[in-house]
Amino acid sequence: MPAAARSFCCRAMRRTAPIVWATAILGVLIVGAGIESALGHGIGGKDAAFVASTKSADILPFMYLGAKHMVTGYDHILFILGVIFFLYRLRDVLIYVTLFSIGHSITLLAGVLMKIDVNAYLVDAIIGVSVAYKAFDNLGGFKTVFGVQPNNKIAVAGFGLVHGFGLATKLQEFKLNPNGLVANMVGFNVGVEIGQLIVLAIMLVIMLQWRKTASFERFAVAANVLILTAGFVLMEYQFAAYFGAAKV
Amino acid sequence: MTTEGQISNPLPAGKMLALTAVALVVASLVVFGAILPAEFNWDPLGLGRVTGLSRLWAPKQVAFDASGSSVPVAREYAVGFRSDTIEIPLRPDGDRRGGDELEYKVRMAKDATLVFEWSVADIPNPEEFYYDFHGHTTVPGAEMTVATYKQATGTSANGALTAPFDGIHGWFFQNQSVNPVVVRVKISGFYELIPPGEAGNEARIVANVPADKALGAK
Repeated sequence: MPAAARSFCCRAMRRTAPIVWATAILGVLIVGAGIESALGHGIGGKDAAFVASTKSADILPFMYLGAKHMVTGYDHILFILGVIFFLYRLRDVLIYVTLFSIGHSITLLAGVLMKIDVNAYLVDAIIGVSVAYKAFDNLGGFKTVFGVQPNNKIAVAGFGLVHGFGLATKLQEFKLNPNGLVANMVGFNVGVEIGQLIVLAIMLVIMLQWRKTASFERFAVAANVLILTAGFVLMEYQFAAYFGAAKV
Repeated sequence: MTTEGQISNPLPAGKMLALTAVALVVASLVVFGAILPAEFNWDPLGLGRVTGLSRLWAPKQVAFDASGSSVPVAREYAVGFRSDTIEIPLRPDGDRRGGDELEYKVRMAKDATLVFEWSVADIPNPEEFYYDFHGHTTVPGAEMTVATYKQATGTSANGALTAPFDGIHGWFFQNQSVNPVVVRVKISGFYELIPPGEAGNEARIVANVPADKALGAK
């Protein structure tokens, strides 16, 4: 890199450093909020009481719940992080996130409206698998280890279906009033997308800044191994819960 | 060529497998060593006990309304009648090893009855002694049904209890005074003592011996 360019880049970095820190801290806070409601990431307490008391279309509160679920949902956030980690063009980011959204919207709406009964622990375990899958894929694991590269667009859309079932099971735990159900579901779904955009925006700001630094090259592998580990943790934990441990 | 959304230099297969194995091992340690003991009381590696994480676990509790149950006024029991006197020494308030409070319970079948009398001396102000008279179920792997009979301060009480469900029933005593004290509990009826160290008698109290011998060897 020519000296002039380097000094510009460093000046730019100095100027943007506070933004990077602010967004990083914000990101940590959001993830922290997720951990607080953690491990049994669902809708609880006063929100559950609200859902149970709903008697008609109540779109905005449901929209808020959808957004809150996404912003505090570390499992969904980790997957999105894995998906966009090495996407350098905004066009690709939009394509993949849209595919993910289409996937989870289908199963969220279908799951709740058609009362499809899936086990929440199994779904959450597969969501863990999706996190591990994408991190493994990000490092080129499928190509080098198995010699095949699965289609990523299909994978992201397919795992989107699973994440949608995850969203659906959280809502199905409650007695949903059939009055205004469709409107409330659509509201919840729109909220999920809004929450996802909020998370994505924060993530992109951090990623764009990080990619400009030399540390990105050095730590990209480590970061994906961490995401892989987190995916395994979610997967094993939810499988353990499925195999009876959660009954206690 | 690289696929979009992937690292530009894919990792060699060997390194990829090694890193995946490391990730799996670390994840398994986290799940089996920490999360399962803390969340599910399931401690396959024994790490939960070593690290104390197991203490984070508690069974789900269901409150039982003990005020409304009714049993026949006359009844017979298959087990024998017994009487015990339990002397419980408690250290002054603020004892570093927690010797200023403990729990003593007995095992009772549903509808079994005991009568009791307990008192504690050397408490200048009766508000400096707290007790919680309660019972709960002990079915492994199930929610815990909890009935609270009385939570109050005072230095003595006498009465009777008819157990609302199978489980362990008794008292949590807490000395909030500056004096070392002895609580004398007399119970009679249809119940079983809980062996020292088991749930309900974790403090390892030995019944029917003077207070200075009541704290059994650990």
